[in-house]
Order: sequence, then C-alpha cells, then structure tokens
Amino acid sequence: MAGSGTGGDHANYGGSSDGNPAAAAGQCSVREQDRFMPIANVIRIMRKVLPTHAKISDDAKETIQECVSEYISFITSEANERCQREQRKTITAEDVLWAMSKLGFDDYIEPLSLYLQRYRELEGDHRGSIRGEPLPTIRHRSPNPSTDVVPFFPQPPPPSFVVPPPSGPSHLNHLYGDGAGGYYYGMYGGGDGSGASTSQDPPMPGFDHSYAPYKQ
Amino acid sequence: MRQAGTYSAILMGGIAGRTGPHSLPLARIKKIMKRSGDDVKMISGEAPIVFSKACELFIEELTQRAWMVTLQGKRRTLHKEDVAAAVMATDIFDFLIQMVSDSNGGQMAPAAKSDSMVVER
Repeated sequence: MAGSGTGGDHANYGGSSDGNPAAAAGQCSVREQDRFMPIANVIRIMRKVLPTHAKISDDAKETIQECVSEYISFITSEANERCQREQRKTITAEDVLWAMSKLGFDDYIEPLSLYLQRYRELEGDHRGSIRGEPLPTIRHRSPNPSTDVVPFFPQPPPPSFVVPPPSGPSHLNHLYGDGAGGYYYGMYGGGDGSGASTSQDPPMPGFDHSYAPYKQ
Repeated sequence: MRQAGTYSAILMGGIAGRTGPHSLPLARIKKIMKRSGDDVKMISGEAPIVFSKACELFIEELTQRAWMVTLQGKRRTLHKEDVAAAVMATDIFDFLIQMVSDSNGGQMAPAAKSDSMVVER
C-alpha cells in the first residue's frame, strides 16, 4: 500500500473536498494515496539509475516516495509566495522553475526548460491549427523582454531538442502515445483549444475557468 | 510489444524516459501542490508537467546518492538509512532532514532528539 506505516496524522487529514465517496474504512487509504506519487512509478524511476542487481528495501521506497511529495510541497510553497508577492493568482511553470532555482536546484533548470519547451511546441502545433494562427515559440520570443516572463530561456536550445524528427505526426505519438494524448491533454482543456495554459501570455479571465473541474 | 495500447503507451513512454508521456500522474501532482498551502489557488496546466519531469530528476538524484552510500557499505540493498545519509550529505536536500531523521528514530538527528525509540512521523 502506498505510504503505509507513515504515521498517524494522515488519518486526521480533513477538508478534502474532492467528494470521494470512499467508505469510511477506506477513506484514510484513499487520502494517503493522494498524498504520494504511486510507488510503482517511483520504483521504476529509481531502477533507471540503479544497476540491475541492486535491491531496494521497502522502507527506502517509501522514504523516497514521501520525499517526492515533500519536494513538490517545498517548491510549490516558494512559487506560491512569489505569486502572492506579485499578486498573481496562478502558479505557472515559470514560477515553479524560478522556485527551483532559488532553492538550489539549478541543475534541473536546463533539462526542465528544454522539456517544457518541447512540450509547448507540440502543444502549440495543436492550438495553432485550431486557432488558425501560428503560436510563437520560445525561440522567437526569448529576445523580447517586455513580454517574456522568464529568464530561463536565454538562448535557443540545441537543435536536437527542438527539431522534430522527420517522421512527422508520429513525433506527437512519442509524446502522447497512441491515443494516450487525450488522457492528459484533455485534462487541461487543450483538446478544444480553449485556454490550455501557457505562461507566454498573461493569464486571461477565461483561462481560470477551465480549471473549475480540478478545484478540490 | 510492437503495438502499444493506450495505457501501456503511457507506461512505456514513462519507462523509456524518452519524449513519451509523463511518467508521473499529473492529477496527483496537482493535488499535492494544492495541499502545500491553504492559499494555493490556481495552478497552470504546465506546472504539473514541469514537476513530473522535475520529480523524475529528483528521484534519480536522491537514488544515485543513496546508492553511493550503499556501495560504501559494500552492500547491494539500498536502505532507508542510505537515503537519510544522502540527504544529510547534500545541501539542497536540507528540507528533507526532518523527514528522514524522524524515520530513523533520532539516529541521524542532533542531540535535540529524545533518546526514546518512539518514531515520530
């Protein structure tokens, strides 16, 4: 069970408004699951960097699982403070990157920026075709300090990251999988082109509404 | 498995670590973000995506550092104590000190901890 044996305060967590109709007996375990990344995913990532013969104790798995949640909270708190100082309501990807840099995770910034840029370019292709106008990419926008929120894209990334392979549409499949794109893509309202977020534009009033289903 | 189905494609993409779909569930990330503070209001769609990759990097780094401790002990099983040692040895992981030292029942913590073996979480 994910996060088992992790202490008593979990059972007392209240205020969850996700309306989960779990039975009383199961309610604590559902909330515990919500607190952590799935342990199978965590283990999978751990094994990527460990030799084949390495064994991982159960308590090590759980500890890392808990550390991940702590990491997310740690960074989010810092990002949220920045938003509040600047009187913005929405925590953006740039806020997250800024917080990571401030808290010492500078080494992550470059790979994350590239990852985000690649994601945006693929997303942009979708929305560009729906809206009928091309979405400017980070490459073109980064020299414009008046509209760019972020100092994290100071230079164009290496071509190998931004040039899609000539396989064309199948490149999208690599990002989303066959039909799997709808699973995540749709969650953020991108499927209908309505306000799937970017941080390239200032938050629009209509943008906030698309997250109504995810407010808990 | 040449023709991945919808959900196995998600997993395969995550396992392979290529440009595949995010290997950590975005909705879960968003929930954890919301729980980080009462005043967390809106979260852009991209923020969990950044986190999905960042958590991957985080897990990889913490695991690698812990494994080095395991190797120093000439062992092949990565234990929680190895994770704790990696946390203590890495400045940017200072925010985890309380979490791993509580689990150890005060083993890693300074004298402020009581001598009892009660494990607080």
